[in-house]
Amino acid sequence: MPFLLKEKEANMKENVTSTTIFLLLLFLNTNLLNGQSAPGKPKIEKCRSPEKETFTCWWKPGSDGGTAANYTLFYRKEGESLTHECPDYKTGGPYSCYFNKKHTSIWMIYIIWVNATNQMGRSMSEPHYVDVTYIVEPDPPLNLTLEVKQSEDRKSYLLLKWSPPALVDVRSGWLTLQYELRLKPEKAPEWETHFAGQQTQFKIFSLYPGQKYLVEVRCKPDHGSWSQWSPENSIVIPSDIKMKDTTVWIFVAILSSVVCLIMVWTMALKGYSMITCLLPPVPGPKIKGFDTHLLEKGKSEELLSALGCQGFPPTSDREDLLVEYLEVDDSEDQQLMPTYEKDHPSQGRKPTQLDPDNDSGRGSCDSPSLLSEKCEEPRIPAPTFTIPEVNEKPDDPGTNVTHNWDPQGINFKGKNPYFNALGSKSSTWPIPQQSSNHSLRCSYHNIADICKVALGTVNGPTVSLGKEENHALNYPTTIDTGGEETTDKQNELGHFHSNVDQGTTWLLPNEKMPFMSPRPMDYVEIHKVNKDGALSLLPKQKESNGNTEQASAPDSSKEYAKVSRVMDNNILVLMQDPRAQTRVIFEESAKESPQPLQHNQAEKNLSYCTFPPGDCRLQTGNTTE
Amino acid sequence: MCPKGSSVKGSLLLLLLMSSRFLFKAVESLPICPSGAVNCQVSLSDLFDRAVMLSHYIHSPSSEMFNEFDERYAQGRGFITKAINSCHTSSLSTPEDKEQAQQIRHEDLLNLVLRVLRSWSEPLYHLVTEVRSMQEAPDTILLKAMEIEEQNKRLLEGMEKIVGQVHPGDRENEVYSVWSGLPSLQMADEDTRLFAFYNLLHCLRRDSHKIDNYLKLLKCRLIHDSNC
Repeated sequence: MPFLLKEKEANMKENVTSTTIFLLLLFLNTNLLNGQSAPGKPKIEKCRSPEKETFTCWWKPGSDGGTAANYTLFYRKEGESLTHECPDYKTGGPYSCYFNKKHTSIWMIYIIWVNATNQMGRSMSEPHYVDVTYIVEPDPPLNLTLEVKQSEDRKSYLLLKWSPPALVDVRSGWLTLQYELRLKPEKAPEWETHFAGQQTQFKIFSLYPGQKYLVEVRCKPDHGSWSQWSPENSIVIPSDIKMKDTTVWIFVAILSSVVCLIMVWTMALKGYSMITCLLPPVPGPKIKGFDTHLLEKGKSEELLSALGCQGFPPTSDREDLLVEYLEVDDSEDQQLMPTYEKDHPSQGRKPTQLDPDNDSGRGSCDSPSLLSEKCEEPRIPAPTFTIPEVNEKPDDPGTNVTHNWDPQGINFKGKNPYFNALGSKSSTWPIPQQSSNHSLRCSYHNIADICKVALGTVNGPTVSLGKEENHALNYPTTIDTGGEETTDKQNELGHFHSNVDQGTTWLLPNEKMPFMSPRPMDYVEIHKVNKDGALSLLPKQKESNGNTEQASAPDSSKEYAKVSRVMDNNILVLMQDPRAQTRVIFEESAKESPQPLQHNQAEKNLSYCTFPPGDCRLQTGNTTE
Repeated sequence: MCPKGSSVKGSLLLLLLMSSRFLFKAVESLPICPSGAVNCQVSLSDLFDRAVMLSHYIHSPSSEMFNEFDERYAQGRGFITKAINSCHTSSLSTPEDKEQAQQIRHEDLLNLVLRVLRSWSEPLYHLVTEVRSMQEAPDTILLKAMEIEEQNKRLLEGMEKIVGQVHPGDRENEVYSVWSGLPSLQMADEDTRLFAFYNLLHCLRRDSHKIDNYLKLLKCRLIHDSNC
C-alpha cells in the first residue's frame, strides 16, 4: 500500500510540472502574438511651407505598426552628402517633422525618409523628394471686417477688409499674395466668388437690404497653392438703405410702353403697306427676251435667236451652195466644167454667205463658217492662196509641175502621189497659227470649191479655178499620214493649177474668213496657175527651195495633175500626170478621225481633199519616212 | 502694408504718359528708351515693373512644361533621383533663403540675375530646336518653350537697362555658366534623351522661380523701400 501512494505522489508532481510548463509556454506565446513584430513601412504623406521659410512634413505609420514603434526622420540636402535627422518632431504634431528657418533652404531638393523601429525590427519608408519652392501654402487671411458704407452719391455698399496671414512676409517682397473672397446670403445655396488681386479690401454694391450675408476670404502666393478659407464673417444689411435707384426703371418702363403703343397704332393704320415693304412678293423667274412659248412650239431657231445666237446650229444650205459650184468633169481634156465657170460670178457672194456663221466648232471642216469667217487679212489686196509645206522629201528636187504663186507656194513632193500639204492630221481646215506663214488666207472655201469641182469623177478630172492674176492660193490642208492610203494613191500626184484668168473671179474668200483651227498645218505650195485656172500644187519645200519656178518638168513625178478616181466616201484620188501641167486632182477622202495637225517639217503627209457635205478638206498624205 | 493698388495705378499712368511722349518714334512695345536717345529717363520703377511682370510671366509656362513632361514621359523612370545637383547654374552662388537674399547687396543680386539669364539663352534656344524635332512632343510644350525663349530675351534686355541705371559704371564682364547638355538632348537612346529633357525643364522651372523671386525682392527694396 505505501508503494501505491508514492506512485500517486510522483504522478501528481509530474502533472503539476507539465501544467506549469504548459501554462508558462502558453503565456509566453501569447505575449509573442500580441503585436510584437517589426513595424510596417511608414509613408511620408505631405510637406507644406506656410511662408517659404520653414516647412513641415507629416508621415503615416505603416499598416502594422503596433504600439511603441519609434519613428525617426532623416534627410539629405541636394549638393550635400551629410545625412541629418529631423530637428523638431513636436511642433508639427504627431508623426511630423518641422524644419525651422535655419534648416530650410529654398531651390534645393530634400531627400527625406522615415525609419520605424521597435523591438522586433525596423522598417524604412520610401525616400521622398521635396523642394520647398513648390510646397508653399499660406494660412488664411486674418481680420476680415465687413462694413456698410455710403458713397458720395448716396449709394450704399459693403466694404470688406482683411489682412494677410501673420507669417507671410509681403513687405520685403519675399511672397506676393493674391486674394479671393466669396459671399452669399445666409440661406442661399451657392457662393458668389470675387477675385480681389493683391489688394486687401473690396467693395460690393447692390446687395439686398434686410438680408444677412456671409463672407469668406482666402489667399494664394505667386506660384503657390491657395490657402484655406478664412473663418466666416457675417453682416446684416440695414433695411432702410436704398441700394438701387428705381426711378430709372420706372422711366424706362413708361418709355417702352409708349413706344409699343406707337408701333401698334402705326401698324393698325398702315399695316398692309408695311407688310409689303417688309416682305416684298417673290417674282417669278424670267429671262429677258425669252419667250417660253417658243420652247413649247419647238422652234429652236427663233428661240436661239432670241438668246442672241446667230446662225447656230449651222444650216446645211450653204453646203449645198458649195456643192453647186464644184463639178468635176472627167472629160479627156480635163478641164473644168464650164458650169464651174458659170458659177464663178456668183462666187463672190460666197464669202458673205458663209460669213455669218457662229459655229462654235471652229476649225471643223464641217462648218462653213470655217471657210467664210476665219480669214486673216491678206497681205496682198486679193486673197492669196498658200499652202505651207510641213515637210519635204529629200528626193524632191525639181518639182516643176507648177509655178509657185508665192514664196510659200505649194510644192509637190516627188514621190508622193498626194498633195504634200500640211503636216496636219486634223480633219479640219487647219489654220496655222504658229506658222510663220502669215499669209494664211481665207482660202478654205476655195478649196472646197476646188474640191467640189474635182468631185464626182474618177479619172482625170481636173479642177481649175479661176483666179485673179498673180494671186497665190492659200489653203491649208490636213495631212494624213494614214496608213490607209493605198499604194494606188501613192502613185498619183495631183496638182492644182490655178487659172490665171483675168475674167474669172476667184473663189478665194475675202478677208473676212477666219481661220479658226489652232493647229499648225502643212501646206502645199501652188506651183503655178495655168491659163485654165488650174492650180498646180507642190508639196511645200523649205523656204530656200520655195522658188521652184521651173514649170516645165513634165516628167516630174511629183505633179498631182489629175484625179485618178473617186473613192468611196467621196475621196478624190489624185495622181500624177506628167503630161498635164495644169491639172489638179483632188482626192476626196473619207472622213477621217481628226488627227492633230502638226507643223512638223519632218513629216511627210498624204494629202487629199475630203468632201463630207459641204466640207472640203485638203489632206495630204505621204509615205512616212 | 503697402497700398498696392495705388502704386500700380500710378505706374500705369506714368506708362501712359511716357507712351504718348514717344508716340512719334517707332516704339513697338511699352515705352523703353529707344537706343541712342541720350536724355531718355524711363524711371527705374517702370523698368522694374516690367521686369517683374516678365519674370512672373515666364515661370508659369516653365512650371506647366515640367509638369506635363513629367506626367507624360517621366513616370516610373526615377528621373528625380538622378536630377540631384545637375543644373548647370548651380555653380553660380545664388542666395538660398530669405536671409541670404536680404543680406546680399542689390548690385550683386542684379548681376547674379543677369548671369542666370545669360546662362539660359543658349539652352532655351536648343530646347526649342530639340523639342521641335521630337515628333512625340506635343504642341503645348513646344509653344511654351518658344514663348519662354522669347520672353527671356526681353527680360535680359530689360535687366541690362536696369543695371545700366542702377550702377552704370560697374560693368562686369559677361559671366555666365556654360551649358553642355546639348549632346544628351540629341542622344539616340531614349532614356538618356528623356532624362536630359527632364533635367533641363527641371532646372528651368527652378531658375525662373529664382529670378522672379529676386526681382520682386529688389523691386520692393529699391522702389518701395521694403514696404510693399
